[in-house]
Amino acid sequence: MEILKCEGIRKVYGSGENCVTALDRIDLSVDKGEFVAIVGASGSGKSTLLHILGSVDQPTEGKVVVEGTDISTMNRTQSAIFRRRKVGLVYQFYNLIPTLTIRKNILMPLSLDKRKPNQEYFEQVVNTLGIADKLDFLPSQLSGGQQQRAAIARSLIYRPALLLADEPTGNLDQKNSKEIIDMLKLSNRNLNQTILLITHDEKIALEADRIVTIEDGRIISDRKRG
Amino acid sequence: MWKDYSVSFIKKNRASSISIMVAAFISALFLSLLCSLFFNFWNYDVEQIVLEEGGWQGRITGEIDEDDLAMIQNFANVESASVNEELSEESEIVVDVYFQDTRTIYRDMPLITEKLGLDADAASYHELLLSRYLIHDPQDAKPPLLMAFYLVILIIMSLALVLIIHNSFAVTMNARIHQFGIFSSVGATPGQICTCLMQEAAVLCAAPILVGSIIGIALSFGVIQAINLLAADVAGRHEAVFQYHPLIFVVTILVSVLTVFISAWLPARKLSRLTPLEAIRNTGELQLKKKKHSRILSLLFGIEGELAGNALKAQKKALRTSTLSLTLSFLGFTVMLCFFTLSGISTNHTYFERYQDAWDVMVTVKNTGIENIEQAEEINQLHGVKSSVAYQKAETVCAIPETDISDEVNALGGLGTVAGSSVTLAEGSYLIKAPIVIMDDAGFKEYCEQIGITSEGDGSIVLNRIWDSVNSNFRYKEYVPFIKEEPDAILLQNAGQGENPVELPVFGFTQEAPVLREEYANYALVQFIPLSMWEKISGQIGNPEADTYIRVLAEDGITLTELNALEKDIVQVIGREYTVESENRIQEKVSDENMQKGAMWILGAFCVLLAVIGIANVFSNTLGFLRQRKREFAQYMSVGMTPEGMRKMFCIEALVIAGRPLLITLPLTVLSVGFMITASYLNPMEFLTKLPIVPIVIFILAIFGFVSLAYYIGGKRMLNCNMVDALRNDSVG
Ligand SMILES: Nc1ncnc2c1ncn2[C@@H]1O[C@H](COP(=O)(O)OP(=O)(O)OP(=O)(O)O)[C@@H](O)[C@H]1O
Ligand SMILES: [Mg+2]
Repeated sequence: MEILKCEGIRKVYGSGENCVTALDRIDLSVDKGEFVAIVGASGSGKSTLLHILGSVDQPTEGKVVVEGTDISTMNRTQSAIFRRRKVGLVYQFYNLIPTLTIRKNILMPLSLDKRKPNQEYFEQVVNTLGIADKLDFLPSQLSGGQQQRAAIARSLIYRPALLLADEPTGNLDQKNSKEIIDMLKLSNRNLNQTILLITHDEKIALEADRIVTIEDGRIISDRKRG
Repeated sequence: MWKDYSVSFIKKNRASSISIMVAAFISALFLSLLCSLFFNFWNYDVEQIVLEEGGWQGRITGEIDEDDLAMIQNFANVESASVNEELSEESEIVVDVYFQDTRTIYRDMPLITEKLGLDADAASYHELLLSRYLIHDPQDAKPPLLMAFYLVILIIMSLALVLIIHNSFAVTMNARIHQFGIFSSVGATPGQICTCLMQEAAVLCAAPILVGSIIGIALSFGVIQAINLLAADVAGRHEAVFQYHPLIFVVTILVSVLTVFISAWLPARKLSRLTPLEAIRNTGELQLKKKKHSRILSLLFGIEGELAGNALKAQKKALRTSTLSLTLSFLGFTVMLCFFTLSGISTNHTYFERYQDAWDVMVTVKNTGIENIEQAEEINQLHGVKSSVAYQKAETVCAIPETDISDEVNALGGLGTVAGSSVTLAEGSYLIKAPIVIMDDAGFKEYCEQIGITSEGDGSIVLNRIWDSVNSNFRYKEYVPFIKEEPDAILLQNAGQGENPVELPVFGFTQEAPVLREEYANYALVQFIPLSMWEKISGQIGNPEADTYIRVLAEDGITLTELNALEKDIVQVIGREYTVESENRIQEKVSDENMQKGAMWILGAFCVLLAVIGIANVFSNTLGFLRQRKREFAQYMSVGMTPEGMRKMFCIEALVIAGRPLLITLPLTVLSVGFMITASYLNPMEFLTKLPIVPIVIFILAIFGFVSLAYYIGGKRMLNCNMVDALRNDSVG
């Protein structure tokens, strides 16, 4: 089942002489439950693409459809609600609110919707991610790897249609990186979670079902494994 | 979650929370003071009107008998009606009418007169009083000016406060742009973010607004008391009684809340409108939009200077409001002080210095000619009186042939040049104002002896001088002879009548006026004559003024109490027969000084308040500015900048932040003071010797002091903070 479809996405930064075309006519379609790795040189437009898919940014041109809704025409409030319900974003830097406990940070998307968490699911997530004993700590009291796990837990708590991860392991050592990727794979397999992952790491890319390569804002290859 | 978030933020950022609370407190205080004072001024105004003209609302004049009166009293909206005995005459009865609902007075009064069978113009309205209650005749569209004036001041004030305090909010909000970026990327809507910020503001400001409003009321009570104390001697003034109305409190709270709300809403809206990407990219570091070089600073202070300059430039916008408020308050403060100094000098010139020796007690005998005053000798005999003279003034004009104008005046370019349009030339003669001062015979004789002129028989003494308006200004007048000292008689006539001139023999000419408390018209030829002379000519010419004055000089070194007693004695002597008004110089000087002191206190307090707001703003701004730059400083330290280097940088920045408003203000102040000096024709040196240096220096020092204090507090925290924490990168990258 197709969960994400984008057609002819263009993104141009700036205007006039010094304008940069970060994305140039991207067409991409992702099915539910797919684990897609996006690779490419630095500055090729990977992050830009991810931001547009997560409706954090708007494309200059083109259409993005997630679960049948066009997100490229939403207003700010609509796209904020879309973000909290349909996408989970994970960045290289963990982006936790420093003054809130890990528990509150994880439950943030639900709280924004004034919803009570499903206790069972919450426990399943924090147990899988191995941060069950850190819930009442503040982010600054956790290691980088633990913080990233918390960020992932936050992105999964709403059972989003898409999990978008921008170099989630870029900041971590080999062991931690592997654990994080394993966890992503686990959620991909167990929860049938659709994942788009940006990475520089060849080895990590090879863990994915599908590898999309971007160069100068264009998709130059799209390989499925197996 | 929002609650947890806000609470923990407020707890962790005491300083910025306090700066917001102080800002809210000061706004509420100020607005409350203003509202309460306005209410009291309005109230005083109404009381004054009622005292002077009565509290009646409508008046009906005409033939009104008992039945008619009963009919008026029974009219639906009439509260009471009574005959005004004072104004009523036999056939014309005046009835004062008071209404229950005054608002409909312009509808009801015509109905009443109609019922009484009177003309519509039998009804009159206390328009002045009614207008104070915003009731106007619907027929003429006169806007309620006074209320509009209050309203405009209130709005300007509240806008000024918004301008100043929104910055306190902006600082604490902008420090968290990155965090709100995170919220936003997780799916918080702009509305939710804005609401969170506004709730924070509400929680922080509720108590300060309430407390500020109440203290503002107390303060206005104090101000009213102070005004009562200082203006106790002002004639025609009744004591103001402090009053308050719950409605005013409601208005105060409303205006304060609105002011604070707008102040918080402006930055909150701006913040919530950032796209999540912009917000999350913001790591709290200052970013220069364009590459700029602070040449002067880097030249003066090296790399630290350049870094400081860049930081200041990146923060230009936030610092702009603080510069503005500081500049405004400093400008207001200094200009106000200078204005007071100038006006003080000016009144001294025009009044007290000039009349220092001219009078001690002045008695105005109302509606009485000098010929009727017989108590002059009695007054002269009173204990403590050195000399006294009674005098009356009269208006005449004289025609002086062009050839008689003095050589000095001709050397200046002729009378036309000197006196302009004050004189007219007709048929070779100038028509000149020639006021007559009639002095009692004893006083006149004394004057003659003083200037060395013998006076036998009848005649006048001519004050032969004219202000040299070409070479001197009105404050430092220089005089030249008016006419050639030849004629032994002068022809006087009544203004507007060419006929029946009176020939007045001239005893002599003088440049020295007698010691009277008089200021003579510019370009007039003044004559002094004794009473005996006046009695001869008064039938033919002279429009004498109604009142006669008695000027009394007391013995030297008299004290206020003695003079007050003397004044009382004199009034007793002369007041037996006539209506009199009296003043004494020392008392007048004291009350004038009191008035000025009072005005200075009130406006000075205003200036200080302005200064406090400006300084508080700079303080909070500077602290916020520093806090925002944790990472920046951590980076400097991590590349090996020493604490000394950091301190140097702080010093440079503090210098620039405090110095800039001063640099802007000083020339502006000098300009505006220069303008005032020019406009008032005062000698600049005289002003410079009385320049209010001390308060201005104190103010300047306070500005530097508080900016330094902010840097000291912020810098100390910065130098002690955990470099690792600060450097920990938590941006998108
Ligand atoms: N806010 C912006 N303003 C102007 N240009 C931008 C902006 N953000 C990105 N770009 C440009 O868009 C292009 C793509 O940037 P993007 O961040 O998507 O690259 P990336 O593939 O994620 O690189 P990396 O692997 O280094 O993260 C770059 O050339 C960059 O210069
Ligand atoms: Mg990137």
